[in-house]
Amino acid sequence: MNILGIGIVFSRGRGIDCFEKALQEGWRAPSEVEIKGKKSFAYQVDPQTISDKTLLKKMRRADKLSRMAVLAAADALNNSGIEITNKKIGIITSTAFGAHVTTFDFLNDILDHGEANVSPTTFSNSVHNAAASYVSSALDIEGPTLTVTQFFFSFHSALQLAQVWLDEKRCDYILVGAVEQYGDVLGYIYDSKLKQASDGRIRPFNFTPAYHVPGEGAVFFLVSKEDPENAYCKVEDIKIRHSREGGNPALRQAQGDNIVQADLNIIDTDGMLSDESVYMSTVSPHIPTAAYSPLFGSMMIGSAFNCTAGALMLKKQFYYANPVMDNPRGIHLINNARCANIELIRCIRYSCHSEKAAIYLRKNH
Amino acid sequence: MISITGLGAISAAGRNIAETLDSFSLNRRTAGPVTLFDTPLKYPVFEVKGIPDKYNLEGQRTLSLALCAIDAALKDAALDDLSSYRVGVCLGTTVASQLNDLEFYKSYRTTGSAPMTSVDRYLKGNLAEFISHRIKAKGPALTVVNACSSGTDAIGVALSWLNNGLCDIAVAGGADELNRVPLCGFGSLGIVSMDPCAPFDRDRKGLNLGEGAGVVVLETKESAGKRGIISDLFLAGYGSSSDAYHLTAPHPEGTGLKASIEKSLSDAGIQPHDVSFINAHGTATHDNDLVEGNVLANIFGTGLKMLSTKGFTGHTLGAAGGLEAVFTTAGLREGWIPASTGFENKDDAIPLIPVREKTNIAGRYAVSTSLAFGGNNAAIVIGRM
Repeated sequence: MNILGIGIVFSRGRGIDCFEKALQEGWRAPSEVEIKGKKSFAYQVDPQTISDKTLLKKMRRADKLSRMAVLAAADALNNSGIEITNKKIGIITSTAFGAHVTTFDFLNDILDHGEANVSPTTFSNSVHNAAASYVSSALDIEGPTLTVTQFFFSFHSALQLAQVWLDEKRCDYILVGAVEQYGDVLGYIYDSKLKQASDGRIRPFNFTPAYHVPGEGAVFFLVSKEDPENAYCKVEDIKIRHSREGGNPALRQAQGDNIVQADLNIIDTDGMLSDESVYMSTVSPHIPTAAYSPLFGSMMIGSAFNCTAGALMLKKQFYYANPVMDNPRGIHLINNARCANIELIRCIRYSCHSEKAAIYLRKNH
Repeated sequence: MISITGLGAISAAGRNIAETLDSFSLNRRTAGPVTLFDTPLKYPVFEVKGIPDKYNLEGQRTLSLALCAIDAALKDAALDDLSSYRVGVCLGTTVASQLNDLEFYKSYRTTGSAPMTSVDRYLKGNLAEFISHRIKAKGPALTVVNACSSGTDAIGVALSWLNNGLCDIAVAGGADELNRVPLCGFGSLGIVSMDPCAPFDRDRKGLNLGEGAGVVVLETKESAGKRGIISDLFLAGYGSSSDAYHLTAPHPEGTGLKASIEKSLSDAGIQPHDVSFINAHGTATHDNDLVEGNVLANIFGTGLKMLSTKGFTGHTLGAAGGLEAVFTTAGLREGWIPASTGFENKDDAIPLIPVREKTNIAGRYAVSTSLAFGGNNAAIVIGRM
């Protein structure tokens, strides 16, 4: 399948052009946040970024998570230039924590007003699939609309399912994406479990100790079997290898877990694992490595943002420099932005169980 | 052809299939007050009593229910050791996907800190990931969070996985516990009845919440054949559609539901007249039953045999699609369906009358439908050779 359009909302703005600008400009300090009196950092989406008055007109009560998802999905459609009337379009939204901020608002309701006096609006917006539902109604898409959740590979699973739905012709096009919202409770949990970068700078090649800075945002791809000239790239394959598969060669072969010689490895190091040295096994002295998490922050769905960078690089045939290049292990990095012949990019993510997922993006011909 | 080789269910109607069929046969239902947590809300609910000890996981009731149903389904499928198979796990839920522990949040809100026990449980408790690790499955794992159609959608996703070679066997369905947050939330929407629910009845006053887990083991014909398993039951089709209309209300014309049923029938390669009965979503809310009853009558005609099993289980949210898939399959296998309990008086606005008593069925196909918050609609077709 091919990526025909991309929509993105992140701390530095909205739209693929904005993301490309961030790739060109490099790292910028995230905003300071306060969690119960303690100063911290987070890559937060400015309310102005999601203040669209046309698309969001009918969804005044929607929360930030839904707004980010709707805008990213709408932008992916617009970016593709595809006219969707009378087309079979599906929506697959992935998330790790979903509408947790609204869920905590609902718990505030219970604590402040009692169980019999809670807000129905807050409750209905706290349901995990509210964001996908808003995408469906805002864009008038009546195809299958699914929300899926996992902590490490939700975007990979969503992309894999999109491929399957296209293969079996359930849909002609699919808006497949990922969305996550930052909130103070999540920040507190991250701080309790992981090491926060005290200067707000994620160092993706430090590996251990690994430092995080929470992020938020949404990415949607419009994917299809169609291969128009303006497509970004092909999603050649999505592999998710579970640790339970162990050393069984037959099963590993069945999962297609072969080593592929890519032109670039993009790794999802962002401090969401306390020790990211497992990524050392994937880097190569012969293949350059990149990680763009310092541009958008640490998220369980960070792969979607890194894949966006990969798709842009394949379309533009251009390497964007790593935004933070602290490199204590001497890894072969992309140190400066430059034109390049890029055929295949491998985006890699590990879970806390050392399970590995890879998305292979290939140049369209 | 995707065979159904195992069934597992636990709900207020029974802790296994045999107990459930007894409840169905005797038209026995067990709605009562909430006992799982303190609440001032007096709605009747359908709680599961007596989850077997070996499945009990402290603070993780949804996972306990899921484990119980999955263990039964795997035994039914004669699957003891999964190490030689590519087994996918696709499960729907609502509650297990949310970090909504009130005590954790209360502590955080009041003192600025909170013990991480409930967070740890949550982070280790993603339904499909947890089950996949627990049963040592070696295939894809995915938790579907599509509100009340989650279980049906999870079964549909598993069907796609199997048809496209991502796995050879799939454990699919849904699980959800009774929880304070949806109880308060549904109460605030004014759609919870103070009486035992009465799906499709003229005087219906709303839904009752329930809990449970329902799981089917799906398998490619080749895989079942290699294991020497012969099953005459199969998952024939799946359809899903969005209303693109409203966050909580179904489209008045039921456009999404109609599209999802039609897609499931075309997937199965059958016509409406091939369907012997429908296990409807039938929540007993005014809007759901009105829209669903009219759509079903429109597609299948007014002579359709139709029931809602929510009168036995309550609305089990993310588990509903899984449980109802199991009940639908069991109906085809046993050759009868129970009375649509709670129904007494025909609603003149709904052209269909649910079955009033235990009813024999003879056909080869049945449909189970789900409607959900967010305007999601899903339908599956189950067949018997």
